[in-house]
Amino acid sequence: MCEVACSISHFGAVSPALSRIRVAKLEEIGIDVAIACVGCVEKPCLECSEDALTVGSSGQIVLDGSLCIGCEECAIRCPIGAVGYYRDEPLFCDLCDGAPSCVEVCPTDALVNDTASTPSLAPYMSSEGPAAQRRAHYARIVSQEVRDRWLAGWRLGE
Amino acid sequence: MTLYQGNRLRVDLTNHEVRRERTQPNGIGARSWNSATLLEELQPGIDPLGPDNILCIGVGPLTGSALIASCRFIASAKSPLTGYLGDSGARGFFAPELRWAGHDQIVFTGASDRWVYLFIDDNKVEIRDASHLVGLDITETTVRLQEDLDDRDLQVAAIGPAGENLVRYAIISCNLTRAAGRTGMGTVMGSKKLKAIVVRGTKPVEPVNPGRFTRACADFQTAIEGHREFESRRKYGTTRIMDSLSKIGVLPAFHYRSALFDELDKVKAEALRRDHVVKAKACYNCNVYCSRYNVTSFSEGEGPEYEAQAGFTVKCGSSDMEVGVAASNAVNRLGLDCISTAEVIAWLMECKAEGVISDADVDGIDLSWGSREALLKLPEMIAHREGVGDLLAEGSKRAAQSLGGGAAELTAEVKGLELFSADPRGIKGYGLMNAVNSRGGDHYRGEPTIELTGDEALAIKRVGNPNAAHRLKEEGKGALVNYAEHLGILSDSATLCKNISCCMDAFDFDLAAEAYSGLLGEDITSQQLWDACTEVGQIERDFNVREGLQPSDDTLPPRFRDRPIPDGPAKGTTIDIDRLVKDYYKEKGWD
Repeated sequence: MCEVACSISHFGAVSPALSRIRVAKLEEIGIDVAIACVGCVEKPCLECSEDALTVGSSGQIVLDGSLCIGCEECAIRCPIGAVGYYRDEPLFCDLCDGAPSCVEVCPTDALVNDTASTPSLAPYMSSEGPAAQRRAHYARIVSQEVRDRWLAGWRLGE
Repeated sequence: MTLYQGNRLRVDLTNHEVRRERTQPNGIGARSWNSATLLEELQPGIDPLGPDNILCIGVGPLTGSALIASCRFIASAKSPLTGYLGDSGARGFFAPELRWAGHDQIVFTGASDRWVYLFIDDNKVEIRDASHLVGLDITETTVRLQEDLDDRDLQVAAIGPAGENLVRYAIISCNLTRAAGRTGMGTVMGSKKLKAIVVRGTKPVEPVNPGRFTRACADFQTAIEGHREFESRRKYGTTRIMDSLSKIGVLPAFHYRSALFDELDKVKAEALRRDHVVKAKACYNCNVYCSRYNVTSFSEGEGPEYEAQAGFTVKCGSSDMEVGVAASNAVNRLGLDCISTAEVIAWLMECKAEGVISDADVDGIDLSWGSREALLKLPEMIAHREGVGDLLAEGSKRAAQSLGGGAAELTAEVKGLELFSADPRGIKGYGLMNAVNSRGGDHYRGEPTIELTGDEALAIKRVGNPNAAHRLKEEGKGALVNYAEHLGILSDSATLCKNISCCMDAFDFDLAAEAYSGLLGEDITSQQLWDACTEVGQIERDFNVREGLQPSDDTLPPRFRDRPIPDGPAKGTTIDIDRLVKDYYKEKGWD
């Protein structure tokens, strides 16, 4: 639902390819992790040869479309695959002017709009492969704790 | 009348050729095109497991849109289990991806001489070698394809060993556990040596009239969220109904020999949730997210839903939920229909209890009620056609014919398709639905759930008869089943989740007209949609009559026809199926 909401709110149409948030699904171990820009400390995407990217007031990445040459380098640099790319233009989470549509629509309140924290993605900087693979890699690592809890007997309960 | 004409891929598996064409112009999506294709193109009397069969995979104009749970594809072919029209739908995320790739229907003809899979990346479509996937289960196949192709977002619909080995009730599954389960569509896929369909799609679905479409989506969401079952469906999914079916006396305990099950508390929804559920799971764009991931001491996976939960416990006389979950996980991985599998196992247990078969007939497997050995071993043996599994792989009708000696009188099937986990005598609308619908013994063609509600106002609104709201009344059930079938066809064409559209009665023809009109930018009326569904129903009936269906086939098994419910809250209840069928024919205008 978050992908649908994001896609509609920016393009008026539905396709995950248009979404700035993507759900990595590791179905064989029951894991889903919704991944969008986390506003990381490293911000490797900013190493743009055309200086098309800057950081906005809420910490969001802002693209100057007039400077972008569509090289896809920023999307490739994101270690967790959180930069989308559609029809020659990168897609950055713009936080929907402070009220993200994905957060609004999430039926389980799994998403929060947290602009205060700036986590480090250092452990993932060496992630390789296409964006979907980097997202899957990230999901596998961040869900390890959850998996351990399940296997130790934790249950959702009443 | 032109409603919606979609893009069709025609895949000739004999010659390994792919052609692009258009669907019929007068369809409303998935099932409407599939059934028409089969009536137009299939020769009567062909072998469903031969190259002459045609396998259709359909989605529709609404699939992958913002409409909640617009997430299903419909697989259709002549059924190797019934010999009549087979079709089945699967939820999850595969269908939207196919729509985003720009394809509304895939028609597979012929049969490959070696194992292949179909790869679709938007407009790129290729038939590729699948020899490295042979023997892999559905989970292994899916993950292997995603890893080999370096994309964990790829959507995969695959068959498991059951489909490869032509078990007559093999499934096609996407997202590991979302199955097109009934009537052996995975078997047809296996007969064509098609191991999987892999899709990546990026083309957006955009409504022509966004305002109208968005309003329809919002109305649908409001109807769902305001529904009295909304919270319990979120919490328990379909497992919630085990308790209510027990209370009205229609549990199929010990293969329909009793409506009472002493250890129900060990296997009902609350126990499953308390002991095993670690997480809720959703299909595409669904706010009900009724599925759950379970972890037990020796297996884990998504599900079971009610049919596997009840089928692998109560129906087989077992109160061991962990074994039930393991059997559910096993059939998902092996690619077996959980309803047919549970039914053939429960039937075999009854054959043993009745002395129809001996230990030697069943390779020495313990077939006493609730046998852990049977529940854990038989799915594997069926999928690989080992020992008695080879017999069960044929389905209960054929297996009973092979066994002889009274085995047929114990089966619970209609037209060769095994029945669900409830007693049709105590829910007459469901009884009738099982007797008459196009695919055989099945409750999910359309769900006459109104009869479980007692809601007379709703019954009057939908079918003009308050009796339809009462499960034990036989009046008004022809009209109810006709309505439920229409809503089923609509849902199978709009590709909505039927748990929402049919079981919750949260969707109707007026709402559908708004959704279709908004998406397509044309004025489509509810009457047009109703008429389109009537036509699809008639096409399916014509197909089956052409294959030799007789009015006498529209009935229930003798065990339900001739005897009352033996015990429990509905003790003594009988069903006059002939009367019900006559009422239904009248409603249809058939003689």
